[in-house]
Amino acid sequence: MLRTTSQVLSLHSHIEEKQAKQYSELAKRSPKHLEVFNRLAKENIRHRDMALRAYREGVTDAFEVGFLAKPLNPEEYVIEDHGNELKDALNTSLRNEETVIRFCLDVASSSSELIPDLPETFERLVKRKNRRVVQLKEILDEL
Amino acid sequence: MVILEEPIKGVMKIKNYVDGDWVESTSSEYRDIVNPATQKTIAKVPLGNEEDVKAAIDAANDAFPSWRRTTPLTRARYFFRLKALLEENFEALARVCTMEHGKIIDESRGEIRRGIENVEVAAGIPSLMMGYNLEDISRGIDEILIKQPLGVFACIAPFNFPFMVPLWFLPTAVATGNTYVLKPSPWTPLCMVKLTELIDEAGFPPGVINLVNGDVKPVTEILSNPGVKGVSFVGSTKIGRDVIYKQCAITGKRVQAQCGAKNYLVVMPDADVPSTISSLLSSFFGNTGQRCLAGANLVLTGEDEEFNAKMLQLIKDSATKIKIGYGLEEGIQMGPMQAEQRKKRVLGYIESGVSEGASLKLDGRNYDSSGYPDTCFLGASVFEDVTPDMTIAKEEIFGPVMSVIKVKDLGEAIETINKSNYGNAASIFTSSGKNGRRFQYEVECGNIGVNIGTAAPMAFFPFSGMKDSFFGDLHGQGRDAVEFFTENKVVIQRWP
Repeated sequence: MLRTTSQVLSLHSHIEEKQAKQYSELAKRSPKHLEVFNRLAKENIRHRDMALRAYREGVTDAFEVGFLAKPLNPEEYVIEDHGNELKDALNTSLRNEETVIRFCLDVASSSSELIPDLPETFERLVKRKNRRVVQLKEILDEL
Repeated sequence: MVILEEPIKGVMKIKNYVDGDWVESTSSEYRDIVNPATQKTIAKVPLGNEEDVKAAIDAANDAFPSWRRTTPLTRARYFFRLKALLEENFEALARVCTMEHGKIIDESRGEIRRGIENVEVAAGIPSLMMGYNLEDISRGIDEILIKQPLGVFACIAPFNFPFMVPLWFLPTAVATGNTYVLKPSPWTPLCMVKLTELIDEAGFPPGVINLVNGDVKPVTEILSNPGVKGVSFVGSTKIGRDVIYKQCAITGKRVQAQCGAKNYLVVMPDADVPSTISSLLSSFFGNTGQRCLAGANLVLTGEDEEFNAKMLQLIKDSATKIKIGYGLEEGIQMGPMQAEQRKKRVLGYIESGVSEGASLKLDGRNYDSSGYPDTCFLGASVFEDVTPDMTIAKEEIFGPVMSVIKVKDLGEAIETINKSNYGNAASIFTSSGKNGRRFQYEVECGNIGVNIGTAAPMAFFPFSGMKDSFFGDLHGQGRDAVEFFTENKVVIQRWP
């Protein structure tokens, strides 16, 4: 279970890095959408850094009681691996984006009491990731 | 559970840093620095003697004339370089802090951040140490106020914030043109060793900043040596008032002694419950209660017993769930006490509370240390039915113990707070602006929180304190610090 901000940030970094790798691979597999997928990969790294910056700039020496009352279960935020078919991989990416959005919302609601910068950053990430879902759906419709 | 990599491998033999070189102490006496969670020895610190400090003070005095002539802009640039190095080494510094102190990694990162903020403020010294002037105080005569450095300042640091507290003083002292002797706690010297390595890398001239390790002997020399112009101290009231403050008065040194505390947190029935619970738990049990801003007495008013019962139940339910263990394990929420003797001291207070008739509703002596040696670990304790005359309500426990005191109303709460010898911090939780203002106006404490559990001033505000919590005139941090480390010189000039 995730009980501290440090744990939550570590999982978030892992998720964003894994997604970045997946989108970089999709860019190679679908030259038609190379630019979009590369941009999504780059965004993942930016999202990771946004959260880390919010944490490092605003970190307090106080433990997060939000996570104490309601620890987050990392099993609920697993990023699925891509299959061989491009369409399958895109559908997986879509599900992964929805998983990440759920994760960001849960972090924002659980961390709201002590470190204001952190929930605000995760709420911003949700907005950005919702736009990615729309883009992925558009690509899927094209295929 | 993920254990973060330890940056210190093996056993490090600590040296002093004098005149730009790492040198062995002239003392042959060493103390083991033990990781309080694992009980492994991670370093050996010299318990230095008077000669070590004399050498450092001499080096600092030799460096002073040149350093004070270095322009404020250039001095600031050294701090910009130091700031960059601190950011690069942020994570390693935080982990060292956890290894020597025991606090959890989130707390250590917070401490490093608060320390760096003081470096950032010092980098603005060209603006901060400007004087002022008025032309034509009489026709053709102008008057100018210039702020000048004094010479060598020294810091005697505590164990509980081994990185942050020395940085309340050092950056402002040095940026204003003084030179410096730093004596870290002999229990937690490693953060300052790592900081000094970065100071060396940043290229500060030899002798400007010196590090001397030890216990009582270096302090005695700092206090008596005429080459030291001023002393910053953070520690107990007994030492701060009866030793540091008095000796500095005798030897004519400037002094700022930030001392003990017994902080009251008042919760009114109109408080927002979720955010109050978060703040209370963090204030009372964060850093395992080893903070001079830690909550000690929780004051509830008798106006709504149902609300009080609900609050206490929520506090106990949450405190019971706090996961205890090694701070480098990411899921750990409370680390050990810094040393076995500190745990024993807290245990003594718990026994005292029980024997004086308080109800121990949550007993921190029952805990699970997640498989680590239980030498220094302790769980959160909650006492109810505490009266203001009990020992646990009056004395600083410096551990994870909450004492709940019930009073009639806000007036009695303020009266109870003001009867305390201490005046470090106090907080109120309320949705009433009227209550908040009355509290801020009437409470005799230097740091006031309104819906804030740990009222820790930022680097650009002074860390205040009153009564037995502070001895001196000017506090650490903020404009107070600039005043403390500079002399105001007035020039009246006329050019016939």
